[in-house]
Amino acid sequence: MSSAPFSRRGFLAGIGGIGAASLLGACATGSDDSAGAASSTLTLQSSLSDPDPKAALTKVVEGYGKTPVTLNTIAIETFRAQLPTYLNSGNPPDVLTWYAGSVARDYASKGFLLDVSDLWTGSGACANFSPALKELSTADGKQIFVPTNYYWWGVFYRKSAFQEWGVQVPTTWDEFIAVCKTIKSKGVAPISMGTGSTPWVASGWFDYLNLRINGAEFHRELLAGKHSFDGPEVKTVMDHYRQLVEYIDPKGRSYSWQDAVTPLTSKKAGMNLIGAFITSGVPSDAVDDLDFFRVPIIDPSVPVAEEAPTDGYFASAKSKNTAGAKELLSYLASAPAQQQFIQLAKSSNLPTSQAVDTSTFAPLVQKGIKLLNESKAITQFFNRDSSDELQTTADTALTKFLDKPGDVNKILAEWQESAKKVLGS
Amino acid sequence: MSTATLKRRRGWVFHAVMAPLTLLWVAPMVFVVVLAFRSFDDIAANGTAAWPVSFGLEGFREALGRGTMGRALWTSVQVTVPAVILSLLLASWAAYALARFNIPGRRAILLTMLAGNLLPPQILLIPVSRVMESLGIYDTLFALVTIHVGFGLGFYTFVLHGFMRSIPGELTEAARIDGAGPVQIYARIIMPLCRPSLAALGALATTWIFNDLIWAITVLRTEAKLPVTAALLNLQGGYVSNWNVVAAASVIAAVPTAIVFFAFQRHFVSGLLMGSNK
Repeated sequence: MSSAPFSRRGFLAGIGGIGAASLLGACATGSDDSAGAASSTLTLQSSLSDPDPKAALTKVVEGYGKTPVTLNTIAIETFRAQLPTYLNSGNPPDVLTWYAGSVARDYASKGFLLDVSDLWTGSGACANFSPALKELSTADGKQIFVPTNYYWWGVFYRKSAFQEWGVQVPTTWDEFIAVCKTIKSKGVAPISMGTGSTPWVASGWFDYLNLRINGAEFHRELLAGKHSFDGPEVKTVMDHYRQLVEYIDPKGRSYSWQDAVTPLTSKKAGMNLIGAFITSGVPSDAVDDLDFFRVPIIDPSVPVAEEAPTDGYFASAKSKNTAGAKELLSYLASAPAQQQFIQLAKSSNLPTSQAVDTSTFAPLVQKGIKLLNESKAITQFFNRDSSDELQTTADTALTKFLDKPGDVNKILAEWQESAKKVLGS
Repeated sequence: MSTATLKRRRGWVFHAVMAPLTLLWVAPMVFVVVLAFRSFDDIAANGTAAWPVSFGLEGFREALGRGTMGRALWTSVQVTVPAVILSLLLASWAAYALARFNIPGRRAILLTMLAGNLLPPQILLIPVSRVMESLGIYDTLFALVTIHVGFGLGFYTFVLHGFMRSIPGELTEAARIDGAGPVQIYARIIMPLCRPSLAALGALATTWIFNDLIWAITVLRTEAKLPVTAALLNLQGGYVSNWNVVAAASVIAAVPTAIVFFAFQRHFVSGLLMGSNK
């Protein structure tokens, strides 16, 4: 193949091209200024793409009269991937939905988030929130997050199904294994778990077993890289997990967590450890039959801990209208807005504001509030207590483990290897 | 054995193999269409793969209402039409120049343009979004059109170049003798002759651009500006998936490309073949 050498004409054409490109750049910068002038409109970037929460947030935002707000709802997985780009762009959205805890702190450490400490003092919107929530929203002594609701995790089951099978709600590990055995003897899969397209669900049992055996303190330290994933503590956790493997519906490996709810509602599976958001995936006629229990206690000397992932908002540090962003945050955190959102979203989420009247909430939600009030420590969830990168290592390790529980030592060693890479970076 | 029976037997084998293959090929589409007409409670109670026990237009109604598929379809049209016209126009200019004039290094130019197409777009996502950011056109439909034109240009030029080379030189020679300039030759001789390959490329480009998702979610962040593919993705929540709505929206989103494809089907096959046997 012969390609002619670059000629003088080609070179000149290239120079011309570069000139044209810089010209384009110049007029584009011009248009950027005009975009800045329109910043009196606030942008709220939302990851709540589920139909009911989306409709609820739309309604709540419509009720905000001070400044016009553009609500952008982006599918959650896209949002997750694009969030760094959103925050890092020259003209970022003013307010964004996301998670409290390590994830928010991570962005704060890069200087992306607006300091909202003044909302947490005096008559600020978050001033009456619990100290635990304040601690959760703090990075380097400053508050950078506004939590608005949270939910609990539990082992969900159908009351009528448990009655049919003649089993009682277990409170200890041995009772729990006995229940699994009874359900299995009826030809029903005891535990439904969708680890196909949503492998993070497998971390639910990991988190809980670790909380029950080693406690919340150890769990947090493990996720922060202070302990090793192939240490003796995690091995004990995996020994317990291994006892469960034979009771987990093998079909769940190809399900998403949403698909795994279907066997539970049609009584082809007994139980499902999942967050309270399960209620939105259950057909309307089965919701009242749905109940949950606390993940059984394994070591009574370990203080009871529960997972309560907290959702809310943060504002971008580069927002063109920081005062407006803070006012919008205050509105979203106010008791009426929280109550309106939770009721319209038909979710089983709990409000963070103590001024919200929860007595009208469904009995299941009341039970969830009680569960969290009785626990000594609160954690978020694997990814929220660490990072999305570390979650990926957990997904790999745990799905491998579910396929080949015998290889547990090798899998844990590999997990530690990849966790070290993530935490070291 | 006579040739007639051999032929008949061959026909029988052909059908025996192709009929199951066709069924296999069509099954996912039938699955989606059936899913689109079921109700949410039916799917949640019996699973997506169960035999349908409900029938309704609830999915379509919701996809068009809440899912705002109508607006997203219009956005897709706003992106697709200019992007297809502009990229084919520019590609035809480039191909005309490269095929009909003695430009130094034209082979290198052509190969460079084509080489760009060999790079997977995934590795260019972040650079491109940064470039759009610094040009100040991030989050505009203009950016999306620009990207589609830029990425399509290499391949379209390559195909049109091959096609234009197959047009006999005597034709343009004759036109030149009659006093036509390069622009007239392009407009009156070359373009009308290129119609089949332009139609084929037009159909192909429309399908590609209309079905694009990755660029749309990379350079756009305002919900109201999302084209139909991204809007479809938005229907899928983190916690609940209304499969009937998603399926109904998929069917709606597939209709325009299907229409374009069927309308241009004849050109599509003949046009691409003509480019190849020069």
